[in-house]
This record gives sequence, structure tokens and C-alpha cells, in this order.
Amino acid sequence: MNYVIAESTAEVIEVLKKANGLACIVAGGTDLVLDIDTGKKSAGTLVDIMRIPELKKIELVDGFLEIGSAATLTEIHSHPLVKQYFPSLAKGCRTVGSRLIQNVATLAGNVITAQPAADAGMSLSVLDPQFVLVDEGGTRICGVDGMYAGFGVSEVDSCKTLLTKIRIRIPNEHEAASFQRLELRKSLSLPMLNVAAMGSISGGHFDWVRLRMAPVGKGPVRAVQAEEWLAGQPVTPETFSHAGELALADAKPRSNPLRGSKEYRELTLPVMVERALLDIAIQLNALEG
Amino acid sequence: MKQHLITTVNGQHIERDVDPSMRLVDFLRDELLLTGTKIGCKQGECGACTIIMNGTAVLSCILPVMKAMNAEILTIEGLDEDGKLNPIQEEFIKGGAIQCGFCTPGLIMGTKALLDKNPSPTREEVREDLSGHICRCTGYKKIEDSVMKAAERLREESHD
Ligand code: FES
Ligand code: FES
Repeated sequence: MNYVIAESTAEVIEVLKKANGLACIVAGGTDLVLDIDTGKKSAGTLVDIMRIPELKKIELVDGFLEIGSAATLTEIHSHPLVKQYFPSLAKGCRTVGSRLIQNVATLAGNVITAQPAADAGMSLSVLDPQFVLVDEGGTRICGVDGMYAGFGVSEVDSCKTLLTKIRIRIPNEHEAASFQRLELRKSLSLPMLNVAAMGSISGGHFDWVRLRMAPVGKGPVRAVQAEEWLAGQPVTPETFSHAGELALADAKPRSNPLRGSKEYRELTLPVMVERALLDIAIQLNALEG
Repeated sequence: MKQHLITTVNGQHIERDVDPSMRLVDFLRDELLLTGTKIGCKQGECGACTIIMNGTAVLSCILPVMKAMNAEILTIEGLDEDGKLNPIQEEFIKGGAIQCGFCTPGLIMGTKALLDKNPSPTREEVREDLSGHICRCTGYKKIEDSVMKAAERLREESHD
């Protein structure tokens, strides 16, 4: 194996191009190293992107927060801009593995590895993120649904394409987001379920809500029916609970020895949705009484 | 094919030709014979292999050795000053935070990284920060108490 510590985006693309599929990008490497060991993945060359200065940045640009793909989860969840504008993203990043993992792993990696219910990627998914992808042909922008191909499979081929940054619009004063997680214990445990929501509220009603849940299908699954119904509904506990029931229509949890049974997760998913909507209402001071 | 690695470990400049598929923990233990850093799971789940790299606590078992290129690495062997233990080590001993000792080097390094950044952590912060360290013996209470004691002592010493 050959290990290249890249110094620029251009160098990454150059090395990938020359290797013609035999070189692969590595960021934190927390999953990749194990996958190479067990033979799940192989690479003749690893291209490390963690020292490319432009990819380390977390900054405000034209009303968007831009998070470089080499920013670690710890750098993200402890960043003042993230804490101020995106507390639910900070929460998602703070729940991945342990602090020791967060110190090297990245948000970009959490999306690209496409593991079911990856907490950071899930909390990000409802913020309408734009993923900036660069390859030989140039730069393109992709939304959440263009990123996930299946369980543990990304649409982005990291032997060809570099995710350079993630852009998220700064919310206005009517908008808030939430990330909820069901787990066996408070640290070092996989989520049995996680739910992320973002919504806008005015005049005591939801203007719109984005709702995603996992692991109930491929990547962060949209609760389409609940989203459609929620627009225009009053911000009340009855609304939260009906939306929770509707969310089930788009969820297909399977029984899994690590994450719990299908039946249990079908009973608890609506509660997680309720909690997420309640959290948004509380943040926006929109609950009566 | 071997690659040339230049790094600093416990203040010492090191240059070696290494197999890039090697993990950093194996380099430290097998090549540099710094066996204070332990291997528990070798999967990033137990914290036994924690070292400090450029000021941050990291799991050396899941890092490719080349991540150490031009980095400053501190392992448990580099903590004492002229044979005198670091206050964190002393407080762990005094507080009974060590039984079999297998998790201890990792925990001490994790604690050092935490206290270097945040000299006055709350108990909650200590728990969150050190949650990736698994100890099969002590039950964590004594570890938490020792970390709080060490923090207090380091604060006092820095005022002297
Ligand atoms: S040996 Fe590295 S985390 Fe367990
Ligand atoms: S003292 Fe034995 S594992 Fe912690």
C-alpha cells in the first residue's frame, strides 16, 4: 500500500486520476482502516485529505455555514457558529462513537460511509445541506438524496470524487431543528432509531417541516406523508402525535439484534417524531401555555 | 513498499522506513518498544491505545502509521519529568483509580488532553470526554474523582 498526504484539492484529483480506481480518499479513517483489515475494502493507495488547509475550514459565506470535509466532528460540535446556529447538528456530531472517535472522524466521512442511522449525517440531513463534489470533470453540488445508494453504500465513489465541503443555510428566526436518538445507554451505543426534523413556525402553525428517520430504509428516510400533512397544522401536542403516526407509513424498520425488533421500533418511532416536533416548538417558543 | 516516516515521539525526533499499512499503535509498541500504550480491542472501541497527537487524544489502533508524519506524539512514557510522575498519574494512584491498570495509560493520556484544553472541567464534561475509555475494574467513580482532583492540583500548581 502507498500512503499520500495530499496538500491540495488539485493534488487529490490528480492522484485519483492517475491511479485509475486503485486509489481511495481517506479522511479520519476510523471505518476505512477496519474495513481494509477485514477485507471489506481494498486500496493500492490511500490519499489522506486531513491536512489540506482549505478543507479544514468552518466559516460563514454569504448566509451559509460551510464545513470543510476535513473538519473533525469535535471541531464541528465545539465550533461557536455551529453551536449558535445548528445545535441539533452539534448534538448529532457529539453522539458519534466516543470523543476519541470524534477527534479524528469527519462529518463528510459520516455521510460518505453511508452507515444506517449515522448520527452526524442524520442530524445534517434535514438542514437541506449542499454537498460540493469535485472530480476530474469539475465541481457539482448534490443534495442529501443524491448521496446515499444503499446500506453502507454511497453514491459518491471516493476513488474518483472528493467531497470538499458541506454548505448549510443559516436558519431565520422562524426556523429550528432537532435531533432525537433512541439508544440502549447514553454513551458508546448505536442508535436503535434516530429522527431529525427542521421546521418553520409562524402564527402558531407549521409553515413546513422536514422530517427524516433511520435506520428504516436507505440513508436518512424522508417521512413524506407526515411532512405533507404537517404544513399548515397548528403547533399542538395532537399535531405532534398524529405526525408521529403518519411517519410510520414511510418507515420500514427491520428486526436487528443490535438495534432492537421491528415491533419495538414501530412503537417507539412515533414518540421520537413527537419529541423532535416538540423540541422545535420549544426552541421557537411556539407552544401555548 | 516502505515509506519514510518523520515524526516526534515524546520529544524525540524519529525517522524510520515503515510499512504504510501498519497501525500507529504497532509502530509505537513493536518498532519503538513503547509498550506503555496498550491494545485492547484494536477496533477503536475501548480507549486503551489512546495517545496524544498534536494536542488531541486519539486512538492509535485505528490510525494508519503515516498519520504521524511530522506530528508531535506523546505517549504515557513521555509524561514524567525526570522520573517524577505527572500529577494526573499520582492522583490516579492515590485515588485507587487503577486496579489491573490495563486501561490506565489510555485514560491518563485522555485526561491530560482534556485538562490541557479545559483546566476546570465539570463532572459532566469529564464523563463525556472520557466516555470512550472502558475500564473493566474500577467502576469509573474513582477515575472521575481522580480526574477532578488532578484538575484541582494542576490549577493550584499553575498558580504557584
Ligand atoms: S485498542 Fe484502540 S480503542 Fe481499543
Ligand atoms: S483498571 Fe483494569 S481495566 Fe481499568
